[in-house]
Amino acid sequence: MLDIAFAKPALPKSGALVLLLEEGANGDSPTGTLLAAADEATGGAVSRALAAAEFKGKRGQATTILAPGAGLSRVVAVGLGKVEGIEARHLEDAGGHAAAALAREAAASVAAVGLSGAQAAHVAMGLALRSYRFDRYRTMEKPEEKPKLAKATVLTTEVPKARDGWAGLKAVAEGVFLSRDLVSEPANVLNPAEMAERCRKLEALGLKVEVFGPKEMTKLGFGALMGVAMGSANEPRMVVMTWNGASAGAGKGKAKAAAKPLAFIGKGVTFDTGGISIKPAGGMEDMKWDMGGAGTVIGLMAALAGRRAKVDAIGLVGLVENMPSGMAQRPGDVVKTYSGQTVEVINTDAEGRLVLADVLWYCQQKYDPRFMIDLATLTGAIIVALGHEYAGFFSNDDVLSAQLHVAGEVTGEKVWRMPLADAYDKQIKSDIADMKNIGGRPGGAITAAQFIQRFVNGKPWIHMDVAGTVWSGKDAPTKPKGATAFGVRLLDRLVAEHFES
Amino acid sequence: MLEVRVGRTAPAATATARPMAEGAALPEGLRAAAAADGFTGAAGTRCDILTGQGRVLLVGLGSGNDEEALRQAALREAGAQAASALIGVAHVALDAHGLSPQEAAAFAAGACLRAWRFERLRTRAQEGAPRLAAIDLLTDTPDSVEAAWRVASAGVRGALFARDLVAEPGNVLTPQEFAARLQPLARHGIAIGILGQAELERQGLGALLAVGRGSVHPPLMAVLRWKGRIKAPPVAFVGKGITFDTGGICIKPAEGMEHMRGDMAGAAAAAGAILALALRNSPAPAIAVLPIAENATGASSYRPGDVLRSFSGKTIEVVDTDAEGRLILADALAWTARQHKPRAMVDLATLTGSIVTALGHHHAGLFDNDAGLAAKVTAAGLAAGEPVWRMPIGESHRRDLDSTIADLRHCLSGRLLPDACHAAAFLREFAGGVPWAHLDIAGVANRADAEPLHAVGPSGFGVRLLDRLVATCFETA
Repeated sequence: MLDIAFAKPALPKSGALVLLLEEGANGDSPTGTLLAAADEATGGAVSRALAAAEFKGKRGQATTILAPGAGLSRVVAVGLGKVEGIEARHLEDAGGHAAAALAREAAASVAAVGLSGAQAAHVAMGLALRSYRFDRYRTMEKPEEKPKLAKATVLTTEVPKARDGWAGLKAVAEGVFLSRDLVSEPANVLNPAEMAERCRKLEALGLKVEVFGPKEMTKLGFGALMGVAMGSANEPRMVVMTWNGASAGAGKGKAKAAAKPLAFIGKGVTFDTGGISIKPAGGMEDMKWDMGGAGTVIGLMAALAGRRAKVDAIGLVGLVENMPSGMAQRPGDVVKTYSGQTVEVINTDAEGRLVLADVLWYCQQKYDPRFMIDLATLTGAIIVALGHEYAGFFSNDDVLSAQLHVAGEVTGEKVWRMPLADAYDKQIKSDIADMKNIGGRPGGAITAAQFIQRFVNGKPWIHMDVAGTVWSGKDAPTKPKGATAFGVRLLDRLVAEHFES
Repeated sequence: MLEVRVGRTAPAATATARPMAEGAALPEGLRAAAAADGFTGAAGTRCDILTGQGRVLLVGLGSGNDEEALRQAALREAGAQAASALIGVAHVALDAHGLSPQEAAAFAAGACLRAWRFERLRTRAQEGAPRLAAIDLLTDTPDSVEAAWRVASAGVRGALFARDLVAEPGNVLTPQEFAARLQPLARHGIAIGILGQAELERQGLGALLAVGRGSVHPPLMAVLRWKGRIKAPPVAFVGKGITFDTGGICIKPAEGMEHMRGDMAGAAAAAGAILALALRNSPAPAIAVLPIAENATGASSYRPGDVLRSFSGKTIEVVDTDAEGRLILADALAWTARQHKPRAMVDLATLTGSIVTALGHHHAGLFDNDAGLAAKVTAAGLAAGEPVWRMPIGESHRRDLDSTIADLRHCLSGRLLPDACHAAAFLREFAGGVPWAHLDIAGVANRADAEPLHAVGPSGFGVRLLDRLVATCFETA
């Protein structure tokens, strides 16, 4: 991760300087304290360059001035728009724009003058989030081709407050990076066993990590999850990560009466060929990110533990590989889920809901959670419905839904509620079993949610279909293209806002 | 529509339908039969009993209908159940004793909606053809029930008018025939104007003209006006009226193309809604603007890559000629906004396959530029039994429409695209500053399965929603 430091505002003697500038009162000349200093030191070069570039300080506007003088290698001006009422996500975006413009610099000073310490911390968050890169498998890249930025010093008048804010945000950023790493890994490296091993490493953060293998899951009766897994040579796993941030250490020596935990459940299909209902070859490589829901849950648990969140939370991930083979599950097979309900498998490529069915039922039965939120790269239908800007979500709880929606607006990880209704549930009636695993094209994401709802046993629940949002083909201010870790910051925010004691 | 009489007796009826709440006590003579059949009054269930006094059909209302709106919805579905079960009986009594006038009217409305069939093109009697033609609505308070029925029946008639249009095949219902079918609305006090091709050219509705160019039946735009009584700008309904959609040069696959005769369901619904307002003499001024064209594959068809100049002045790059609905709506919306300055615009269109993948057949997609209007439309849909679900127009959806040659392109090509959102983002550009809602009814306008309130085929979706919307939100200045 980018090394972040905070310091009192002062014009650096050398290197790169980022000026976060407010849109001018008349829309013409942007304002900012260090702008004047930089201008003076460079004999007016900075303001002349900004005028030439028609830089007005509008939100999202960014301009680079190379070697303006005074020993500076570059000045990057990033517009904040109006600072009054500015939101954290706008500051993070500004940090992201700055980081993108600093790839050729090893270190930079970022002037967050005029912003509070808490706001400066969000600028740092943006710098860090955008600087992420997954380059483990690049062996031939020349040093000059690699992004260099390693250290950013955020200049603020409220250094201690900024450090405090960053401490919590840094833990979240680490959760985001863990999630991005997992989602970026190719499937020949990240099989279920390897993914479970990476979860185990979270014990270092104080999480309790339990790993279930095929023997344990067979004994429990996870017929749906095991049915998906049986085509692959790579054994399945279920991992349960427990964070007791509220009940443990709540009082001095007195264990607090344990509140019900929050539960997050992720689909972790480490590679999805579709199984016997095999997918077309074009684009199949994307299916390495079919564990994106689990990747988010793991990143979220790391974030909660990393920032010592005062909450009891559990994360469960069902990890399987969906392969066609002589041992693979067939269309027409009937499996018995852990809940006892039977499922006719019409299409082996609708495997995610089968994995979730067993893990959700286990979760609600074993932990009686306050709510369950599952995340899954579940359907193409949700992409046809909403595209890549929003994740779709489904819920049986209006209050929790409203809270999630707001958290999405605040973090910029936007979600849109989609409907559930009995009329859709009828589409998954089976002639031979309690239900079938697909309901046809119309409302394809909805019928998947109806299926999952049959395994939540009436508990407060949200299902997030993140098929359109876990991976991005385009750079965004705080998300370089590739794995987005969508949901980590959203759910961290949801927890922080409503569920911490 | 069924002939409906409100009265205390039903001498001509040979069967009686009685609604029954779950767990309610039954009269002595029916108790044993109902028990033998396991009938408890659960929603969606019925029990057909032959007694010494004639045939009695018990229809379950379910439980928990403690709000008036829920009771009306349950009775509407019960009436539909009755019509479905007794479709072979010519004259049926609906027992509305003990119901409020509005509930009684909902009971009859459900029966009329469910009993509708389109038999005009059959020349030979079919075995088992529907015979249900008349209903006696039994009540002790005929005057108040009659008054409630006058209101409810307006929406039903409007919906059935729309269905009759939607059912007609493309060789019958050309744009010119569509316009001709609107003429009889004049006798209800609706003013009808038709803008023919020459007028469209004069006014510059270039997008509508381009879509219609491939057909030998030229495009037109129909404008229906209901004056109302209050002093306020009109509410506008804009409906997509593609009388047949081949897809044009981007021709559709042959399989299922016959359903494209129903691609004018939005226009039909908008016309039906105006009829409903007129029939119940609504005080609200309203207009329906119906861009009507055939999207044919021909030597003069517009092409992918063409750039059109729309009525608004904005230029549009055509990507896929099968995304023609948003083009004709773009002109109609911009024209309506400029010429009539409405207080709100609602458009209806069988617009995208994407909305069917998104929401299936049980909600229409709702997009808007005004959250307040969206909430009103949602509430009206719920009350009318025509549910809608609000969908987003995100920044990315609009950004995706940036064109390399024109002001915007009207769709994208490729797989797994949020085309319903793209279409809505496109339409929003033409709504001017008018509060606007867009209903993508592709999944609900025409059904391969019977639904509670209609047989297989057209639903008339939107008519009763709009009628309700006007009644609750636009009848005061």
